[in-house]
Amino acid sequence: MTDQTPHRQTEANVVLRQIGKPLERSDAEGKATGRTRYAGDYTMPSMLHGRVLRSELASARLKHLDASAARNLPGVLCVLTADELPDRLAATDIPGQTGQKRASTDRQILVREFIRHHGEPLALIAAETPAIAEKAHDLIEYEIEPLPGVYDIDSALGPDAPIVTEPDNIVGQHKIRKGNVDKGFAEADHIIENTFKTQFIEHAFLEPEVGLAWVDENGVINIRMSTQVIEHFRFIADALGVPHNKVRILGAMVGGGFGGKEDITVELYLALLAQATRRPVRLAYTREDSFLGHGKRHPFVISHKTGVTKQGKITALEVNIRADSGAYVFLSPYVLLYSAVAAPGPYRIDNVKIDSAAIATNNMYTSAFRGFGAAQACVAYEAQMDEIAKAIGIDRFELRRRNFMRTGDKTATGQTVESAIWSDECMTRALEALGEETKAEEPVKIGRGVATYQQSYGRITWLHDTAEAWVGIEIDGTVIVRSGVTDIGGGQVSALSQIAAESLGVGLEDVIIYHSDSAVTPLAGTTTATRALYMTGNAVHKASSILRGRMIDFAANELDVQPDEVDLANGQAFVVDDPSNFISLTDLAARGASEGLQRSELAMFRAPFTDPIDKETGQGPVFPDFTYGCHAVEVSVDTETGEVTVLKSVGAHDIGQAINPQAVEGQIEGGALMGQGYALSEELIYQEGKLVSPSFSEYLIPTSMDMPEIKTIILESRSGLGPFGAKGIGEPSFTPVAPAIANAVADAIGTRVFELPITPEKVVKVLSQSQTNGDLEQKLNKTPLLED
Amino acid sequence: MLSEFDLEMPSDLQASLSSLPYATPLGGGTNLLVDLRARREKSKRLVWLGNIQAFREIKINAQQVSIGGGTTLSDILHSPAMAEAAPSLFNAARVFGGQMVRNRATVAGNICSGSPAADTVPPLLSLDATICLTNAEGCRSVPLDQFYTGFKTNLRRQDELITGLSWLVPNSNTANLFYKLARRKGDAISVVGVAVTVTREGDRCTHARIALGSVGPTVFRAKDAEAILAGGLLSEKLINDAAQKAMEQSKPIDDLRASANYRRHSVRVLTRRLITQAWHSLPEKTAHT
Repeated sequence: MTDQTPHRQTEANVVLRQIGKPLERSDAEGKATGRTRYAGDYTMPSMLHGRVLRSELASARLKHLDASAARNLPGVLCVLTADELPDRLAATDIPGQTGQKRASTDRQILVREFIRHHGEPLALIAAETPAIAEKAHDLIEYEIEPLPGVYDIDSALGPDAPIVTEPDNIVGQHKIRKGNVDKGFAEADHIIENTFKTQFIEHAFLEPEVGLAWVDENGVINIRMSTQVIEHFRFIADALGVPHNKVRILGAMVGGGFGGKEDITVELYLALLAQATRRPVRLAYTREDSFLGHGKRHPFVISHKTGVTKQGKITALEVNIRADSGAYVFLSPYVLLYSAVAAPGPYRIDNVKIDSAAIATNNMYTSAFRGFGAAQACVAYEAQMDEIAKAIGIDRFELRRRNFMRTGDKTATGQTVESAIWSDECMTRALEALGEETKAEEPVKIGRGVATYQQSYGRITWLHDTAEAWVGIEIDGTVIVRSGVTDIGGGQVSALSQIAAESLGVGLEDVIIYHSDSAVTPLAGTTTATRALYMTGNAVHKASSILRGRMIDFAANELDVQPDEVDLANGQAFVVDDPSNFISLTDLAARGASEGLQRSELAMFRAPFTDPIDKETGQGPVFPDFTYGCHAVEVSVDTETGEVTVLKSVGAHDIGQAINPQAVEGQIEGGALMGQGYALSEELIYQEGKLVSPSFSEYLIPTSMDMPEIKTIILESRSGLGPFGAKGIGEPSFTPVAPAIANAVADAIGTRVFELPITPEKVVKVLSQSQTNGDLEQKLNKTPLLED
Repeated sequence: MLSEFDLEMPSDLQASLSSLPYATPLGGGTNLLVDLRARREKSKRLVWLGNIQAFREIKINAQQVSIGGGTTLSDILHSPAMAEAAPSLFNAARVFGGQMVRNRATVAGNICSGSPAADTVPPLLSLDATICLTNAEGCRSVPLDQFYTGFKTNLRRQDELITGLSWLVPNSNTANLFYKLARRKGDAISVVGVAVTVTREGDRCTHARIALGSVGPTVFRAKDAEAILAGGLLSEKLINDAAQKAMEQSKPIDDLRASANYRRHSVRVLTRRLITQAWHSLPEKTAHT
């Protein structure tokens, strides 16, 4: 169900015919009927099958590895080990669009001597059948010697800690200094301090990593795969030692990404095996491979110290953030930066001091995951807001209202937010939508919680982000879009088609889009960072608008009127004041073709470019803009068993302008589900770095039985930097969900679980403790809850 | 990846029994295939039982319920009379695995897998079910209560199949309840499963069963706790004492899902809650049938 606010049109006379309509997504039918081909559906003649041999220990020395028995097995074409890849390294950085790369953050491709995490690849196999590859996998002999490792961030910083990353296991640090916190705390009537912890979690996309690589007649290594980032072709070429134009990555519709297909996954192994065998190679991860094979969400420990007046005005905030970056750097420094910038939340605070560090351990490496550090920050700052309200006796919603940033306010890094900040409106709407409180009887209690947030869309501005797109009109008036964008299920491709349809006055069904091919579609620059619509949408809008202008000029001439009298809609160019004076787009395109009119346009959209922020103060612009919104939930808690049931779940977000409200609802519903798992049940458990919950029987994402109906409220300020004033919703829809649930549980039971996930056992434990402390007015049980 | 094995697909019981001494029976395969893929199970010869006629029969009359060895969890849920004839089993079936697993998994397979977390076993123990173990020579009846000998070990011989189960339909003075506590509401492995049966005559409990899952090496009946209730004038104190005793009889372990402490705590809470609920659902005046 969707409630929409009335459009606030910022441009006069803008009539949107396609944008903002809940059209059936162009990818819907193929997916619903099973006709869409995913990367795993592609095969080739004489195709081989790949397999990865992985370490079973997290910290060890590979003493020797003998692949001779595997190589001698009939049907085995090649086994690659570190010996076959001298001097080869793989990048762990964001794929730059500018040729820039961080120094010394590459990783070994296959283990040469030191194993740094569970699942680290030791060897690659290509064989005639999956069964032979499996047999070869078992025939590789190796000996490993366990080494002492570090498995938590405190130990990693100890004086005698084994060093995972030189020189001191600290892989990233960011500071933010604004105002004067000493002065701010002196002005405060209360100082509230709390520490919040989050866990490792898994992206758990429906489609595990998969791809097919082949070397073509020009010597180009082609890789068809499931990825968010076709731009990795450059890093793959670097790792293989071939020119950039000799590697091509072709995507397909992606069965979920969430950041888990943002780093290099199977493409590097596919490229190496295809290069070595000169035959097509397919590699499909099993679910177990997938659990071991890609980076996870960073566990964070975040401490807040907040000074606040009696009236509820926050005067100072000090935050300490530590994140477990695991065994390799990957995107940890960026994730950390997001968490530091996000740490104060959507609140105006004049005196801020933030310190953050990402710390290497022998746990699985951590990297991109929907929310990208800003989500973990929200878990802390929104719980802290409720704790402050409770401590000083102010209504928690009122406390938020008294501190919300307003349009034109500056963030903690001094960046002025020029778009709408509708936190208050979103919270009010979300709370209203919860309706009447559900009744319950002892020992079940009802609680409600909200979380608001500030989440960036678009990349860090000193990465100088760009996106290109090509739009063309065929001679019959139909439209083709070419964009390197990858569609990870959020409706990215359909949204671009809708934008082109709007600009060129045709129906969504008249637009065909070719996408995600690093060689033949203009590079869009990754589907990550809630940037796909903002960046690629603007590129398509720009190309379409130029084309629209050209078609209108041409039509005006044909219709013998001035261009500003002509509009394009319903497959026609027509005179606005006299719609009977028109020419069909089909005729217009054909006449244009015969007169040499250019009916295509390649356009580039550039995000704002800035210099990096100051290292000591963190001052300066960091992101193009931010999305604001609120998630509200109602839960019931069984205070005897600790079971939590989410009864109502409402997401209210100002997304600027919905291109397709149906797709937006999908993002908000998906975010609600993923956030609920993060709050209540999902956790990857590592013991001595070894993943001991490597399947869906231990790793529990919410089922249909766990989810309530999700209500979505779309507000449209039309103030964003995206096409038609759009902001972004991919990550923002997830960010506030877990803290809203945590706040609702705390509201229900009168005490808080400070560590996600909030399992029934933790609920019982905190209730038992608060009972012992005499905090709980009412005895919940006639006998002590837990014997400890 | 699955290793190679031979698969026999006989269409009658005798043929499958004659293969059994050399092969592993394959019911729904919801455990066996997972174990084969994970290489925990090494069988090279499997006998699929899904082609055996009448193996999925459910018979319910006024006194007795009997189900065939091929009965799936979905069959239980789709049997209109089952909600009355075995309320605890019916409720266990509703929270058993996911829909696809319920469509394949058999009750007999769930019993034979011997997992302490097998969701159908506490209900069947609370109903005093008897199982029929059949080999080529014939059939023997074994009370389910005597079936398990230890963690994943039981009385089934290599050449035997569970071909059927039966139990008496609870009378109108008897309540039979089940609750599964898990980390997720759907498709999760139990943290604690509790099934209770209580028969009420006036203020007296004349018959009690308390069966506990996931809190010991096997699913088991907390007989000392049952003894506290049976024959007694039921009071809040008596229920609390029985719940306390059930907790004391539990021998859970710490694992990824929960600590032993939390499991013990939950046994007490759930036992007390289910018995109280069962008791209050029954008429104070005995209906003589």
